[in-house]
Amino acid sequence: MRDSEQNKRGSTLLSFMNPAVFLGTGALLGAVFALQEWVEVRQMSHHINFTLLLAAWGVQYLLWALICWVLWRFFGTKLQRISWFWAIVALLPFSILLSVAEEMVWVLCFPNLPLWMPHMEYWSRVLFQLRAELADGLVIFWCAFFLFRGAGYYQRFREKEAAASKLEVQLANARLNAMRANLNPHFLFNTLNSISSLMRSDVRAADVMLEQFSSLLRICLERGEAQLISLRDEMEFNEMYMAMQDKRFDGRICQEILVQPELHDALVPAMILQPILENAYRHGLSYVSGTGLLKIEARKENAHVRLNVLNSGIGLNPERPSDPDNHNLGLVNVQDRLRLHYGENQSFSISEVAPTRVLVSITLPLQLCENSPQLLAEYGA
Amino acid sequence: MIPTILADDELLARQKLRQMLLDEGEIQLVGESATTSETLELVRQQKPDLLFLDIRMHGKDAFDVVRELSLDPDFPMPTIVFTTAHDGYALRAFEVHAADYLLKPFTSERLKVAIRRATLQIQSRQKPQPAISSQGAAANNPYANRIVFKSRGRILFLPVSSIRWIGAEENYVRICTEGESYLLREPIGRLEEKLDPQLFLRVHRSSIVNLQFVKEVRTESSGESVVILMNGQRLSMSRSYRSRINEWLTHN
Repeated sequence: MRDSEQNKRGSTLLSFMNPAVFLGTGALLGAVFALQEWVEVRQMSHHINFTLLLAAWGVQYLLWALICWVLWRFFGTKLQRISWFWAIVALLPFSILLSVAEEMVWVLCFPNLPLWMPHMEYWSRVLFQLRAELADGLVIFWCAFFLFRGAGYYQRFREKEAAASKLEVQLANARLNAMRANLNPHFLFNTLNSISSLMRSDVRAADVMLEQFSSLLRICLERGEAQLISLRDEMEFNEMYMAMQDKRFDGRICQEILVQPELHDALVPAMILQPILENAYRHGLSYVSGTGLLKIEARKENAHVRLNVLNSGIGLNPERPSDPDNHNLGLVNVQDRLRLHYGENQSFSISEVAPTRVLVSITLPLQLCENSPQLLAEYGA
Repeated sequence: MIPTILADDELLARQKLRQMLLDEGEIQLVGESATTSETLELVRQQKPDLLFLDIRMHGKDAFDVVRELSLDPDFPMPTIVFTTAHDGYALRAFEVHAADYLLKPFTSERLKVAIRRATLQIQSRQKPQPAISSQGAAANNPYANRIVFKSRGRILFLPVSSIRWIGAEENYVRICTEGESYLLREPIGRLEEKLDPQLFLRVHRSSIVNLQFVKEVRTESSGESVVILMNGQRLSMSRSYRSRINEWLTHN
């Protein structure tokens, strides 16, 4: 919502600089100068045709309006960005040439002017006209130039403002999403439900799960609002999550974790893998009756970290029954978070690498955490 | 039998721990208390060997109980296992030589581990040497008996004797015990300094072994030396460390 508002405000400035405004301003100025001359001439007790004055001044300023509009329309951004050095070296001669050209056109339009003078050749009329009007032309050109520059500054200022507020909104959203992800309600209540169900059949197992669950919660709370955490901390969380799932699946799922040692300190968005793992269990491994495989791999690829999650479930069957509410919502959330954190410098893919083997693969830029994220160990008797 | 007192201000917490302790054959429950003053009184009267102590109770906190008990040098200090929902006191617990630190909720397996550790501590205290000399020995011995760190949302007071071997992974070390491994952000060199060289040996730039668990040292046909642990784990060994382990092997 706020984005479109910002765009609208930005474009009002551009729409203000349209040809009608240029021509209107030209006509108005022409009329004002015509009136001024008419009054002057009347004061000197001469008679003059007002229509002729209006036409002469009108054409003069309408020509300038046209020139200015063309300059704005086709060279506006260039004029706004040009350095002061080039403004003097290139634009000063250009402004003189342009003024001369404008006068030449104007003189062509009014062969009978100037009045009260013996008839002159075309070039002498142009020279006569230039002597009176060259300075005016230059003033008009440079006024327009500074106006364009001003408009440019204003526009950039507004753009910066808009970008800043957009970033703020994005940050707030990211924070909200991260909080939601940190305490994923889906995961929270599913676990509580499992514990509740275990309590009826196996108090010991319920106890174990409750302990694991409180450890997970403790970690979540300690992290607080941290958005990026070390891969080591992320994997610790995932190991605990997988240990809990292992209880549910009765050890049927073989779990494999391979992390390259130099990636322990790599920064990743907190809980970026948990929804992927949950998805692997829910939509893949839970349909398998025998043994299954869940493999997590973290590899360094040039300046990127690749995280792979492979499951040997039932493959990507589009006709498999799924509840529309929850299906893939977690994965969409993962993609959103990756995009918010890294823009286009990341990737997400889900594919069937072999029948019944689904691979979710993400890459993100490699950043290492600088300060130690964990208290060092204490030694003692 | 270990005479034991449990102190917790919550009825349900006491109830759960009591039930769990009933399953532990060696524990003999001699009293329960709900406040720090009650606890002090009960401990002074019963002189238990083991005290399960909740840190936040009505009145003062659990560390005051420990301090007041230690004011009397003749009083036999019970071995303490702290029980709490909060992990912020672990280091203080470590400093007062607690046997363990249980984060609620805990499982009976975790409780068993705590009781085992407490039993070891009680046995070592009951040895004929007076407490003063053992403290003196501890002061003279610069090596760690335990390492405390956080892992998987728990506080671990890991006795170094339970470590099988330690591997370096860049800025981290992987500490391997019988059933688990812990990844700790600690340079292997710093860890090596803290370990008694009589018990632990650096066999490679990136590994340290607990000599108690070494089964044999073998030279492969390729000329490479490997250390083989009791559980079959093989660790490659640098030539420069070869003489040290040979020496150790001939002495044992």
